[in-house]
Amino acid sequence: MTTGPNPSHVIAVEDYGEATLRNLIAHLDVSHSFEHCIYRESELDAVWRLLDIALERGDGAVLPRERLLELRDAIHQAHDFAADEKPHEAAARLRRELRTV
Amino acid sequence: MLTRDENELLTRTNRGTPMGEYLRRYWQPVLLESELPRADCPPVRVKLMGEELVAFRDSSDRIGLLDEYCPHRRTSLYWGRNEACGLRCVYHGWKFDVEGHCVDMPNEPAEYGFKERVFTTAYPARAWGGLIWAYLGPRGADEALPPLPEFEWAVVPANQRFVSKRLQESNYLQAVEGGIDSSHVSFLHSTLSAETHVSSTLGLQSAYMWRDKAPRFTVNRTDYGLLIGARRDAEADTYYWRITQFLLPTATIIPGPMNVDAPYNGHFWTPIDDDHCWNFSVSWLPGRPLTEQELQDLQSGNSIHAGVDQKTFLPIRNARNEYLIDRAKQQRDSFTGIEGVSEQDSAVQEAMGRIVDRSREHLGTSDTAIIAARRLLLREARDLQREGRGPAAVQRPAAFRVRSASMLLRRDVSYEETVKDTLTAPVR
Repeated sequence: MTTGPNPSHVIAVEDYGEATLRNLIAHLDVSHSFEHCIYRESELDAVWRLLDIALERGDGAVLPRERLLELRDAIHQAHDFAADEKPHEAAARLRRELRTV
Repeated sequence: MLTRDENELLTRTNRGTPMGEYLRRYWQPVLLESELPRADCPPVRVKLMGEELVAFRDSSDRIGLLDEYCPHRRTSLYWGRNEACGLRCVYHGWKFDVEGHCVDMPNEPAEYGFKERVFTTAYPARAWGGLIWAYLGPRGADEALPPLPEFEWAVVPANQRFVSKRLQESNYLQAVEGGIDSSHVSFLHSTLSAETHVSSTLGLQSAYMWRDKAPRFTVNRTDYGLLIGARRDAEADTYYWRITQFLLPTATIIPGPMNVDAPYNGHFWTPIDDDHCWNFSVSWLPGRPLTEQELQDLQSGNSIHAGVDQKTFLPIRNARNEYLIDRAKQQRDSFTGIEGVSEQDSAVQEAMGRIVDRSREHLGTSDTAIIAARRLLLREARDLQREGRGPAAVQRPAAFRVRSASMLLRRDVSYEETVKDTLTAPVR
């Protein structure tokens, strides 16, 4: 039996890789309540801080600086959608970003 | 992460600001009741959300809260004579009652009838739960005031509670956020061993908080605000849950020790202005009077109740003396080297600056409760600003009859189902 993403479950954010973003999108897709949006916002905060710190540190080893900047902007926008309780817009913003990879 | 605009909206509380108007829809604690101990006692200065006021208890035990400055020549009514059901300005003798009516104007000919036409700003004030509360918001068409919130600590007999007050030199929101952040307890208030705090009246002794320093958070929107569960690994088949409440607009309840007949604790933060706030702390027992030993512990300055200067309510350990930090003790056994739970909170919250720039933070999933409280306040303040919709919690005083808890639950047991009915304080 397979189970889908649980919107009441907070994802452990360990990196800003594609798998993490896809997991985030899957959880955004099934989020609909105030509580769910809070969890999604906290996860997007966690991704954003990894990107921001990578940029501050000048860490271009994993991704080029330009790509890190694009990704951070996308996460910021998705974050603000989640904060506005618009999880599906947040998911759409992340999907658009993944298509540019 | 907040935008600068959101940070401004949340932290500015003067009249006319969105958050200032929102907070004014609630009763706010402004003084300890003991600061106005008897009829006709000396008046007390009160600054609340930027408004400079003076409080007094008149000859009939009614509490007045007036604009501090006499409408005649704008001197301070704090110097006034509290006599015969009114506060009389010592400059020219104008006298005002608790509703702001000028009831005597001895320096003007009586036949002019000036006094009937002169009023000063006056706000309703009430004694409730050992504190003096004020309402600075609009009244309904019938002049009705909102009901006072029925916190359990406010409705128990006076000998079952202890209240205190301290000055915090930061914006109110930094203090509120500290109060709902269960994550910091494993660090800021800890020692270097599994015994995380020495106060017997605080629920911080649990070794679980020492062993698992990365709690997972659950938040639930409620009628009073937020129910916040912080889950830590306990035994192989159990979780340790520390459950707190964020009560709108600026209060918290925190649990006592697990399985012990010890006081519950809570805080209420009232903005003085955008750079300062009052922290009112309360400890209470639902079922019996506090013992002498418990009172001593609460008054020791080593609990959530700070040791303060009794005139200014500035903590004895404060920024000016670096909170009397003991670096040797910090090396040896205390995480901070600072005595007192409240002082530890003040040290980190005041060091952020008077209003922290939240656009520069790096939050994560351990900050879930803080994120939720900000979003809730932003939503409510915007609803009022844009649609004129006042906070629903104000009209639900019984919703505030809640208790916090710390408990062990089997891992396969639903936290929401378990706490749903157990955290409501019974109505007496």
